[in-house]
This record gives sequence, C-alpha cells and structure tokens, in this order.
Amino acid sequence: MDLVSSQGLRIDGRRPNELRKIRCKLGVFSQPEGSAYLEQGNTKVLAAVYGPHQTKGSRSKAIHDAAIVNCQYSMATFSTNERKRRPRGDLKSTEMTLHLKQAMQASIKTDLYPYSQIDIYLEVLQADGGNYCACVNAATLALIDAGIPLKEYVIACSASLGNGDVPLIDVSHLEETMGGSNLTVAVLPLSGQIAVLEMSQKFHIDHLPVVLNEALNGCRRIYEILDEYVKTHLNEIGTIAGWAKSDF
Amino acid sequence: MDHYKSVHPLKYYQDYLIHDLRPDGRSISKFRNIAMNVDSITTANGSAVVRVGNTCVVCGIKAELGPPRTEEPENGFLLINVDLPSLCSSQFRPGPPSDKAQVLTAFVNNIALQCGIIELKSLCIQADKLVWTLYCDIICINYDGAVADACFTSLIGALLSVSLPKVEYNNETNVISVNEETKISLNVLCKPIATSFAIFNEKTILVDPCEEEELLSSGMFCIVISDNELCSIHKPGGNVLEEEQIKKCISKAKERTVLIYELIQATTFKQKLL
Repeated sequence: MDLVSSQGLRIDGRRPNELRKIRCKLGVFSQPEGSAYLEQGNTKVLAAVYGPHQTKGSRSKAIHDAAIVNCQYSMATFSTNERKRRPRGDLKSTEMTLHLKQAMQASIKTDLYPYSQIDIYLEVLQADGGNYCACVNAATLALIDAGIPLKEYVIACSASLGNGDVPLIDVSHLEETMGGSNLTVAVLPLSGQIAVLEMSQKFHIDHLPVVLNEALNGCRRIYEILDEYVKTHLNEIGTIAGWAKSDF
Repeated sequence: MDHYKSVHPLKYYQDYLIHDLRPDGRSISKFRNIAMNVDSITTANGSAVVRVGNTCVVCGIKAELGPPRTEEPENGFLLINVDLPSLCSSQFRPGPPSDKAQVLTAFVNNIALQCGIIELKSLCIQADKLVWTLYCDIICINYDGAVADACFTSLIGALLSVSLPKVEYNNETNVISVNEETKISLNVLCKPIATSFAIFNEKTILVDPCEEEELLSSGMFCIVISDNELCSIHKPGGNVLEEEQIKKCISKAKERTVLIYELIQATTFKQKLL
C-alpha cells in the first residue's frame, strides 16, 4: 500500500505537508510546578515539571554549577493497540527518556540553579505516532508553565519519505510501521539549532536535505502554533490576576 | 500568611476548623465537585477520566483473549492495577510502586472481586478454552487527596464504557473468529463508590480531604458503599473513633454515593447518545 495515494492524499486523508491538529493546555494540574497537556492528532501526552528543588536521593549527584535535569518517559498500558506490559523501564522507554533529557538540556538555563534538580515527567495516554515529538513539545510547554528560564522553545517534528520521493510531515503510527523511513528532529526554532536528530530506515543521501528541511519547516510551524497559545494563555491569566494590560 | 502556614501547619488548620471552615473555603462536611468523562482514549477498550476537586485519575481497560485457569474453567479475569506515578505528586519518587499504590491496588481489587462488580462467567467465551482478561489500569495524574474515591468512580465509568467485539470459538477446528463489527458491552452488577474521611482530633472529621489535610491528619478512613449496601470500611490505625461518628459518616457517604450515581448515569447516557 502506498503512503501517498494517486490523488496526493495520505492514509489519514492529509496532504503530504499537512501537520496533524494540535491542541494544548497549560497549567492543568495543581501538584506540579508546571504542567501541560498536548494532543497531536490522536497522540495524547501529559507533561509535569517539578523543580527546581534540592537534589533528591544521593547528594553526590548534585553538580556545583548547574542543575540536573531528570526526565522520565512513561506510556500508559492502554496507550497502544496491543497492551503495553511495562509502562517504563523497558529499553525503548529508557532510550526515549535519554533523548528527551538531551533535547531539554539544550535549552534549559541550568547554570542558574546549582546543586538543584529539575524533574520532567511525561505520560503518554494515547500513542498514535510521533510520541517523541509530542513529548518534547509538551515538556517545553510544561517548563514554560513552571517558569523555568529557557533559551528558546524546544520543538520536535518527524518527517518521512513516501513513494520514494514525496516528503511527508508529522508521521502517524500507521505510516511509521509501514516501513517508511523516519527522521525525527528536535530543534530550537528561532536560532535553527538542532538539539537531537534521529533517523531510521534508509533513503538515498540526495533526499536528506529535502526531508530534513520538511521536518525543520514543521518545527517552525508547530512553534508558531504553540507560541500563539502560550501568549493567549498568559494574556488570560494576566487579565484575571491583573498584571497584564488588556491592550498590547 | 504563608510563613505562618509553613511554620505551624497544624495550628493554621485548627484556627480554621474552630469556625467549621477549611482553608480552601469548604465547611468540614462539604464535598468537592466531581467531573467525569468516558471513552476518550480510543486505543483502550474502555476508559474514563474522573476529577474530584484537583485530584485527577484516568482508568483505561484493555481486553485480551487467553485460556482460563484450570481450577476455574468458566471464569474470565478482571485484573485491576492502581498506579501512583511520580508525575502526580512530589511525594512519590520514581521507582517501584510505592506502599500507597500497592495498598490501593489491593484495596480496589479486593472490593471489586468480593462485590462481584462483573460476573466473571460472563467473560467466558468457551469453557476451559477461551476467556476474556480485562486489564484495568488506573493512573493518578494529579494527587490532591481522596484518590480512592476517584479510583472507584473511574473504574465503574470505564467498565460501563467497555465495548468488546463478538468472539466465537469453533470447538472442532479450534479456530477463533473475531467479529469487529458487533460490539458487546459489559453487565456491571454493582457499583461500589468510596468516600474518604480524615480524622483531625476526637471531635473533627473532615470529609473528602485534600492532600495537605491528609498529611496533617491523625488518621484516615474510607467507606465503600454500593447500591445502598455497605461494602467496606477501611480504617488503617490512626486516632480512635466512636460508633456514633462512624454512623454519621456512613450516612454522609450514602448521600454522596447517590450523587455520584447520578453523575455516572448522566455521563454514560450522554456517551450512548453520541
């Protein structure tokens, strides 16, 4: 089955350069310092940020000039089509946790909080492809909600190559498993700096700039959507609390 | 104001309780609002999200096919697990399930199986060969007290929203055929609902405590009621109580159970219409 039909539509009816619908909400929970809920198509992800606080566990892990960023990626057992036996601790989750930590560390100003720890917890409630991307985006929103200083948003997007030459953006689970190549990139959108880049399967090296460009474009568009939402959210809160001017 | 609260938390609370009030504005016998939503997670066979005040809990049910136990060839399996991840509160550290999570899991499992929430025989497709196993995973995503209340409500909501495909087992050929088109829902026989209480001193019992109140209390207890019958009273140690106080709490729990039933009815009915 082709990833792109003869009419130029993908399996879920999108065009090759169309992102899935993004819905997000900041400050959804009372316990964490910062929290966010993000939906990218059918992928639903929750992010919670605790910190900065004193290093829990062994004091020897504390770094004298920076904060430790601790990430945990967990998938609910009912999030996938086949029941997932281990929510966390299996190889794939451990790998995802490490990549998430590396992506967020590229942007958090850790030198402002020596001897401290920032915990980022992610829970995937429904997985439909692009789990890593949704997690990175949700984590960024949660960090913003927690008020932790960031250099920039960290936005992630995935891209693929369909029918051998059509670049596809924002890959869903079905497209991932159908054997197409998959390129995931986590980027700081304004400066264009790439934090994490991962690719699977293979395609000809001539296609790389095209697919990478598609993914970076996707990141920029997602950044605009999320930034718009954050500004609206802050405006709302500020108006209620009285510190934002209603005309700006 | 916040300094007084951090330095003398108990006295801070007692100053409020004298006037029959709590810092969040409720009286000592007022319950928090409950909101519920079912069937929002499409990868699960049934799901429910319940919010009791700030406490938020998601229950997802996955159904799998498998052989039954040889001692009980006509019974399916109902396996409930409650997870309190580090996401929901800073008091839970990452790692193996905490004591609280294990106690809650055992509590919910015991009540669900003893009350007979579902007739396990109804999960049987072919005796001794094929039965349904329902894995109910309850995840707390924000912990602000009264988790047991939210857990039971979400479990019932999720069970009511489960739709299983029709499965047939051919005895001669041993072939399993699954018909995705026809959907069967579960027959939920009883609906146990929990109500949590926190004991502050001999005279004050707080209804529906939030996390701060749980930590400051000198004892906690939980009453589970199903269809006007008392299912369980769970009082793990703590301050002593008199019989009269327990009776009063049981009647409060009964009132709340009726309200929660109306909520479940309204939510699941709305889903059926959609």
